[in-house]
Formats: sequence, C-alpha cells, structure tokens
Amino acid sequence: MNENFDLENMRQQMTTLKNKLNQQEIVNDRFVRRSMRNEVNTITRRYYIIMALGLFMIPYGYWCFVKLSGLSIFFWIVTSIFMLVCVGATFFTLRKINDPNLMNHNLVEARKKVASAKKFEANWLFFGIPAVVLWLGWFLYEVYQIHGGAIGNGIFWGGCIGGIIGAICGLSINFRTQRQYQDIIDQIEDLTAGE
Amino acid sequence: MGVRFKNRKTMNGLERQFAQTIAEHKSTIYTVCYMFSQDADEVNDLFQEVLVNLWKGFESFEHRSDIRTWIYRVALNTCISLDRKKKRAAEVRLTMDINLFEDRDEDTKQVDMLHKRISKLQPFDRAIVLLWLENLSYEEIGQIVGISTKNVSVRLFRIREQLKNMSND
Repeated sequence: MNENFDLENMRQQMTTLKNKLNQQEIVNDRFVRRSMRNEVNTITRRYYIIMALGLFMIPYGYWCFVKLSGLSIFFWIVTSIFMLVCVGATFFTLRKINDPNLMNHNLVEARKKVASAKKFEANWLFFGIPAVVLWLGWFLYEVYQIHGGAIGNGIFWGGCIGGIIGAICGLSINFRTQRQYQDIIDQIEDLTAGE
Repeated sequence: MGVRFKNRKTMNGLERQFAQTIAEHKSTIYTVCYMFSQDADEVNDLFQEVLVNLWKGFESFEHRSDIRTWIYRVALNTCISLDRKKKRAAEVRLTMDINLFEDRDEDTKQVDMLHKRISKLQPFDRAIVLLWLENLSYEEIGQIVGISTKNVSVRLFRIREQLKNMSND
C-alpha cells in the first residue's frame, strides 16, 4: 500500500470522505442562525476589552493615584498618555485584523495582512515592556517618597518582584509570537519564491 | 457590519439565501475544517468560525468569482489564520451521526489515513493539496492561494515527493 502511495490514492480517499459527508445533514438551521448573530468573535472582543480598560484607567488613575494615594499630577498625566498610546496601538491592530474583507483575499495576501498585524503587536511589546518597567520605577519612587518606612518597603519589594515576573512572562510570550509569525512569513516567501 | 442596518424583509431574504448556500456547500466547508483539525470539537469550532466569516462577506460577495471558489478562500483563510489557543465549549454543535476521528469502519480508516497525511504538511501545502483533491484546476488553485499556475504545478510536484517520502518512513 505504502509503495503505491500517490496523490491518486488520496483522491480515492477523498471520494470516500465526500460520499460519507453527502449522507450527513452536518449543519442545522440553529447552527447557521447562531453564526449569523455571532459577528464579534473572541479575539475581537479581547481587543475591545483592552481598549475599554485603557480608557477606564484615565479617570480611575486620577482617583486612585492623585486623590487616594497623593501621587503627583504629572505622574497621572504621563500614565494617561501611556494609556492613550496603548489604546491607539490596540485600535490599530484591531482595524487590521477586523477588516470584514480580510478573509475574502487570496491566502497569501490575507496571511501577510494578519502576520503584519501580529508582528506589530509583538513589536509593540518592545516599547510596552520597558515603558511599564519605567512607569513602575517611577510609581515606586513616588510611593516611597510619600509613605516611606515599612509600607514603602513592602510596596517597593512587591513591585520589584511583580515587575520582574511580568517582564519575563511578557518577553517570553513576545519572543514566541515573533517566532511563530516569522515562520509564517518564511512560508509565504518560500511559496511565492520565483513568482 | 452593514448587514445590520438593512430592513427586516431584505435581511430575511439574505439570511434564507445564506442558509441555502451553506446547505449546498456544507460538505466542502466540513472537508476544509476537518483537514485543519485534530478532533471533533475543533472541527465544530472551525465550522462555526468559517460560517461567521462567510456571513460577514456574504453581502459584499458579488458573484465576481464562482461561489465555490469564494467559499474555499474564506474557509481556508479562516482555518489557517484562526488563533486556536483557547478552546470554547460550543453552544450549538454540528448535526452528524458519524465521527471521523473515532469511528473504526473501513471507510473511516481510509479517510483517517488521508487526514494523517495531509495534516503532516505545512498549512499552505495542505490548502494546495486539498484544492487539488477537490478537482479544482491549477488556475483556480492559483487564484485561491495567490500564486501563479506554474507555481501551483511546481508546488504540487514537491508535495507529491514529500508525501512519497512520508509514506516510505
């Protein structure tokens, strides 16, 4: 069997599959209706949640950092600008990924668009992670200045440990995503070589 | 998105037309999803996602290309692009009384053999061989994938070699 193996054998197997499928109902009305109502998928929803959280952080930050903790207004302004940049970057990625005609393109074109959006997302972390580390440093400095003593020490060490763990996790996810998308780009280049 | 703002009567007509299109091409969609999945749950998820994307593009599809070609394009794009990190518990399931991943009759074994071979290929090669197995012309395959007809034949030759090597392993 293996020695005679050829694409023609696979065609036979495909015919078998088709015959089996033709005898099946496969999809019912409820399933189709559900798909028509389900326009916002999980991935898109995640982007909307990130944007909503970013915007929410601006007024919440004012209350939490300035009113409640007594941190400087300048710190809140910089935090708010950072949040707006995050929202902007998320919106940019969402717009690329959520293009309603994306899936209508040919496979190479659609994949290139998705890969470039995801690569932007991964590259964004090269700015995002150092920015968060700096922000955390500034936050701890201000907290230490105001509270000092035991409370300040606790927050400082908690922040350092949390920051390091967060940075390691973020960077490892980022490197993995970069590798995956580089792999896709390599596949496209291999496929379109000599076109 | 524009679909939402249509009046109810037009919407019902469009929905009926869509449901009919899906009924006619259900096995094509299922075949693509099956070849890109590892189990029945994943096929279910992929099928749902393909239908969502087909519905999104259904109104703007103006029959400039053959509907089967368009369905292949959307289905393959969805299967190749979908982020499958999280599995969702499907609320509505496909209505099939066979399980191509678990049934053990002779026909299903043959189908399973096909699935195993195809799933060892890279996603784009998987798409090309699948379209070839569905008897599409090199020109149609090229249009769907986005490469020239000549490249399709070169690619298929390489895939054939790859599959032969796999079967000799």
